[in-house]
Amino acid sequence: MKGSHLGEFEELVLLTVAILYDDAYGLSILDKLEKQTDRKIMISSVHKTLVRLEDKGYLKSHMGGATTRRGGREKRLYQLTQAGIVVLNKVKELRNSMWKQVPKIIWQGGGI
Amino acid sequence: MKSNHRPPEWAVRFFEWYCNRHLTDAVLGDLLELYARRCAVIGRRRANWLFVFNVVLFLQPFAFKKKPISPHTNYIAMFRNFTKITWRNILKYKMYSAIKIGGFSLSIAICLLITLFVRDELSIDQHYENGELLYRVIYKSDDPADSWKGTSFPAPIAAVLKENFADIEQSGRLIAFDGWFRAGGNLFRPADQVTNVFEERFAYADQEFIEMLEIPMVYGKRAHALSEPGSILISRRKAEKYFPNQNPVGKVVIINDNESEPFVVGGVMENLRNTHIEGIDFLITLSGVEFWNGEQTSWCCWNYSPYIKVRPGTDPDALEEQLLSVRDNYIIDYGEKQGRQGADKARKYHSLVLQPVGDIHLRSKDISDFLEVSDIQIVWFFIAIAAFIMLLACVNFINLSTAKSANRAKEVGLRKVVGSHRGSLIQQFLTESVIFSTISVLLGVLLAAMAMPYFNAVAGKDLAFPITEWWFIPTLVLFALGIGLLSGLYPSFYLSAFKPISVLKGRLAGGSKNSFLRSGLVVFQFTTSTVLIVGAFVVHQQMQFILNKKLGFNKDQVIMLHGANTLGDKLPVLKEELLNLSQVKHAAVSSYLPVKGTKRNGNMFWKDGRDKIDVGVSAQIWRVDPDYIDVMGMKLVEGRNFSDDIASDSAAIVINQTMAKELGLENPVGEWIMNFGRWVVVGVVEDFHFETLKGKIEGLAMVRSGNGSILSVKVDTGDMANTLSSITGVWDRFKPNQPIRYTFLDESYARMYADVRRTGDLFSAFAVFGIVVACLGLFGLSAFMVEQRAREISIRKVLGASVRIILQLLTLNFLRLVTVSLVLAVPIGWYIMDFWLRDFEYQIPITWNVFVIAGFLVVLIAALTVGFESVKAALINPANKLRSE
Repeated sequence: MKGSHLGEFEELVLLTVAILYDDAYGLSILDKLEKQTDRKIMISSVHKTLVRLEDKGYLKSHMGGATTRRGGREKRLYQLTQAGIVVLNKVKELRNSMWKQVPKIIWQGGGI
Repeated sequence: MKSNHRPPEWAVRFFEWYCNRHLTDAVLGDLLELYARRCAVIGRRRANWLFVFNVVLFLQPFAFKKKPISPHTNYIAMFRNFTKITWRNILKYKMYSAIKIGGFSLSIAICLLITLFVRDELSIDQHYENGELLYRVIYKSDDPADSWKGTSFPAPIAAVLKENFADIEQSGRLIAFDGWFRAGGNLFRPADQVTNVFEERFAYADQEFIEMLEIPMVYGKRAHALSEPGSILISRRKAEKYFPNQNPVGKVVIINDNESEPFVVGGVMENLRNTHIEGIDFLITLSGVEFWNGEQTSWCCWNYSPYIKVRPGTDPDALEEQLLSVRDNYIIDYGEKQGRQGADKARKYHSLVLQPVGDIHLRSKDISDFLEVSDIQIVWFFIAIAAFIMLLACVNFINLSTAKSANRAKEVGLRKVVGSHRGSLIQQFLTESVIFSTISVLLGVLLAAMAMPYFNAVAGKDLAFPITEWWFIPTLVLFALGIGLLSGLYPSFYLSAFKPISVLKGRLAGGSKNSFLRSGLVVFQFTTSTVLIVGAFVVHQQMQFILNKKLGFNKDQVIMLHGANTLGDKLPVLKEELLNLSQVKHAAVSSYLPVKGTKRNGNMFWKDGRDKIDVGVSAQIWRVDPDYIDVMGMKLVEGRNFSDDIASDSAAIVINQTMAKELGLENPVGEWIMNFGRWVVVGVVEDFHFETLKGKIEGLAMVRSGNGSILSVKVDTGDMANTLSSITGVWDRFKPNQPIRYTFLDESYARMYADVRRTGDLFSAFAVFGIVVACLGLFGLSAFMVEQRAREISIRKVLGASVRIILQLLTLNFLRLVTVSLVLAVPIGWYIMDFWLRDFEYQIPITWNVFVIAGFLVVLIAALTVGFESVKAALINPANKLRSE
């Protein structure tokens, strides 16, 4: 279902697009993600998520940057939309506010 | 890192095939980049493998689902637009639409009727609760010289089957052939009424027979409706006729005015529909019946048709194996005790086989029984006709749609330019053809409903639309969809393939050219029609041949008075009084006549004293009076007729030529022959056809007798009505309570061939429909062609072409196609009709003139069809067409 909800992997992809700024396309996002998270990720799941995020309106894309290494095929380069920036901020605010509500005792290693 | 490494080409192509345009390049680029990287690290083989693995992993909805062009595509609006355009097109090209819809609905009507007919045929005898356990027992001879299958057995068969075989739970017998004592037609009345009324469908049956066939009862209990001797079961419609609004069980009825042998109604059964004994109105019990002394225990005479119900789980093949003991212990045993020959042959070739009751109606072609059965081949024939006519209509639709493509080309081009996909164009044209087929189905149902009474009359059925069945409407809807898609598929692909640039520039591919496919379709239509016409002709000729053949007797001006047996002693007086009438030339009494529905029997004859030595000659033995040969106009080729004045003629016998030959009598007159008695041959009568022309003339003998149920009267009159009223006057003096019932011999004869006439009628009807549908198509095509070439024709006329040349130009092409169809139709038609004629022992040869006439007819019709528009075009004033240039 398309909604405004952002899954964990979606959030990571969205952040990666933001990090890569003007060179965010399938493979570069995959490389960056694997490096950041240290997990094995399938290229198909990256593309699937990108399509979904675009459908949700958080990303926009254009074609460009063909190289011979790619068999002369263009990349689909992704960029955050305004809505994408807003939703990232929302997620971050939500996390922050929830962090603040956690009692300090948890972090001090006290048992319950 | 070498860049010349490439992943498997097929995987790339596969990916390009399934992936949507949005992602193809982006993903494939990524995959290739990954591939190049992997090649360097892990080698080409594993990189290849991983590449394929990745391609497969992308097989997910997000990759092959088309991204909607606009997020708000409104399908309903689109279909509304398609419908609107279709409607406008129907109105714009009224004639073509009428041809398409007309052809369709006509064919659909025919298909519907045929489907109902076939459904009815296939449903016969399929409704029994224990249907899979019911069998009819058949006696079969595989003798290559004399192979046959018959349903008749001697009387004790039922008891023997039930007592000797553990697998057989019930067994019962049926006698349903006309003329066997009271089987067939009889005079009937309730005991408290005086008027005898002739009723046609009597048969004999055992109590267990009605139990096995689960005959539904209205009054009385099935379990003992026929168990008492002298009981009779009558159908609902006859019960309503004779006993309105009352329960007739226990009422006494009189048959043939014979009050000494009354019958008691044991029950009322539902009208027997959808069974192989359909139409039988009276079932007389066989319980306590003995047609002559010792008849029930003797294995001499084969008149009973046995039915059995086996126990669940019985293997019919194994049971057939066991049944051979009936052949050995009873049938052959009886023959040997009588000193008959042929036991070895019987052991070698004869057997008892089981026929499932559900197969009787459609799969009894080679079995001689006395039931009115159909054949599976006829059902197949009907299905083929329905399919062909439907195909013809689809062909018309395809033909006209592609021919008229020029008119739609601009629309297609424009739609493509403003962004329509081929897919949605195909959708549009399919919608269009489904709309056409839906309209046609509605009209077709209407047509079929109107034609239903006529169809029922021709096919001898009682069909109605199963409108109350839940599946009827959905099936029609599916049918409309199916036909629409079938006929719309080719045009929609054809039309949607137009290249926008070329059509908008005004160049049109194909449209007006005579494509190979379109010619093929025209040829197909006309071949089918010609074959049907040839069929109609051949059947008609055979029927004429049957009606006019020299039969060995004269069937004209012979009146058969039925029920003469009820007169008893007064019969000779009636005969005398009739002979006093000036118009009556001869009169004779006999139950045996050379038409169907009169009495028949089977006998074995030998030369005198040789019954223990020779294999007998089978022949009918007819009891006739001495005037019989005169009434029938038969010809004595040797010897004399018997006479009432010669006392010794009670042992005299007149035989036909076939019998003389089969008995091997060189000079038959004066020879003695025997069956159960001894006879002296006094005369030989010229062979005459006493059965249908489907079989050979067989042996027949006539002996003297004064009794019989039919008084045949040969008249010589130009005023038949007047003669009939004189005869009726005489009859009424003798039998005031029994209305005279007469038939004409020639009409009874023609009725024997009702099935041939029916086949002829059907062929003619289908031929007419076939040619109408084909002509509709041809007319549409030619009209279109003329329209397309209007300017060309005008220019030709300006340059001096004559009307004749223009006509030639326009019609020759079509006529050439029709000629090709004729060439194709000749062998096909010949083959089919030759197959049909093989049914007749006496048949016409198929002559070339049938094909010439059929061909001439088809060419004429085609020429007229094409000519109509062509003449109009050829006579037009060229200025009218050229002015707009």
